[in-house]
Amino acid sequence: MADRPAVAAPRPARSGPGAAVLAGAAVASGYGRGTEALLAGVLSGRPAFSSVRRFDVTARRTGVAATMAGSPALLTEVTTVVGDACDEAGLSAGDRARSPLFLAIHTHPAMARAAAADRPRFSPDAFAAAVAERCGLAGAGLRCYTSACVAASTAIADAAAMISRGRADRVIVAGGYLVEPDQFALFDAGRTLADDGRVRPFSAGRRGLLLGDGVGAVVIETAEQAKARRAPVLARLAGWGRTGDAYHPCQPRPDGHGLARAISAALQRAGLAPGDLGYVNAHGSGTRHSDLAEANALRLALGDAAATTPVSSTKSLHGQVLEASGVVELIVTVLAVGKGMLPVNAGFLGPDDGCRLNLVLGEPLAATPEYAMSLNAAFGGANTALVIGRS
Amino acid sequence: MTRSAPVAVIDLPALGSAAVAAGLTVLAAGCWPETDADTAVKPLAGFIESTFSPLLAETAGRALGRRPGPAAPDRVTAIVIATALGDVTSAAHVARAVDLGQRVGPLLFFQSVPNAVAGYLAVRWQLTGPIACVGGLGAGLDIAAALIEDADADEVLVVWVGLGVTEDDGDRAAAVVVTS
Repeated sequence: MADRPAVAAPRPARSGPGAAVLAGAAVASGYGRGTEALLAGVLSGRPAFSSVRRFDVTARRTGVAATMAGSPALLTEVTTVVGDACDEAGLSAGDRARSPLFLAIHTHPAMARAAAADRPRFSPDAFAAAVAERCGLAGAGLRCYTSACVAASTAIADAAAMISRGRADRVIVAGGYLVEPDQFALFDAGRTLADDGRVRPFSAGRRGLLLGDGVGAVVIETAEQAKARRAPVLARLAGWGRTGDAYHPCQPRPDGHGLARAISAALQRAGLAPGDLGYVNAHGSGTRHSDLAEANALRLALGDAAATTPVSSTKSLHGQVLEASGVVELIVTVLAVGKGMLPVNAGFLGPDDGCRLNLVLGEPLAATPEYAMSLNAAFGGANTALVIGRS
Repeated sequence: MTRSAPVAVIDLPALGSAAVAAGLTVLAAGCWPETDADTAVKPLAGFIESTFSPLLAETAGRALGRRPGPAAPDRVTAIVIATALGDVTSAAHVARAVDLGQRVGPLLFFQSVPNAVAGYLAVRWQLTGPIACVGGLGAGLDIAAALIEDADADEVLVVWVGLGVTEDDGDRAAAVVVTS
């Protein structure tokens, strides 16, 4: 087989017999509110970055991010997308009351500045509970994930695993990050922000990442549940994989072996060969080490198919949305596949020999892949891979 | 807007009982403090200002070091951190610095998410399984059970960490290594 992977999953990645589907999605991003704004934005090829006006950035090395207008409130934005995703899926009040929320956030926005004795009131779980209450979702089964840039993708994988095993009929997965001064200061201190104001994944001359607003929600449920409501199925959640590098607290394993195992596990769960993938929405942070590691991972896991599979990182367009990355980028992938247009890998200056992939450059690529993958990686060497299939 | 109860303190018996109730077998355990000698957790290189990561690393290390028997060479261990507030000390430190217009040190960037100390543990103990961090212990144990059932891990390190809310409260942590 020409596209035999160089790294096989080290063990059989199991799942239950059930099929998980996406039956509703909603999003807000630097392009504005709604999936139409996000899809039009990423297919325009024009990055959403502009000067940050939400707080003072004069002391920072860069003052650019992909933000919505004004100073939106995270609770309002997350509540809105969860409600909108449930509406799109056609969920009744009773359906919502039986559906748990898995929420991915950095923390409760009020916690760090609360008086010490009050901080327990401002836990991430308390924030998630407030969202669930406002949206009429189940109180039981609520989870709040804070695992950095794999928080939302891990939540999606966990939801899919539960549904496949029959442990849940439906889970609402949401994630949210809105650009704010504390993370901006930390990323600036870590010298990870691109001081040229552009994100250039896998490109020569890339200088780092830029933050962005991102809030997204998806309804994940059994195919039977969606069919019973005659709900439009946006995509099938065909496979998922998650692994750890065991290499460094903050840097990815350079050879990409850890991420490659996640990719292989996701393909195995989906019952796919590498050549079956028609698009990869890469983690593609735009940082030197991470992009090299990811390119190596794709070549290891996909083998010969890595040379032909279209790849782009839409972080070059909507920015790095931290804990929400997994859900926002999955939505981008679903929208792009549904539209039959794959977004560009923006900001590309020229090839980096260590990052040779089949990047979507210049303008969106017309394609209707049956399967696509969304990748995420995070501090700690945490890796996730999600595979969707066309509905 | 919040309706949650105050953050509960989880001790080792409670963690062990919860793990068993989740259908898991406890292979090894550790906690902080364990004895009267556990008065100040030792610093962890690369982590500053907060006891969160040193405490987590020390407690997890106790559990991991007590696993029985020689390990299979291809053993896959996942890491699940359950912490209601996370590293609230570091978060509050950064917020103060930002509000005062002070410089934020680069090390604080690296420890701004719990994944960093999970990564430290992964390197120290060669743990190659998935990494997750959640707010609730019940969620953490459910994730652990699912990872094992689906062969994403042979065993899972589950660590609960709670920093003292006020200066009168002590920091506490408990860890178990579980399998099916």
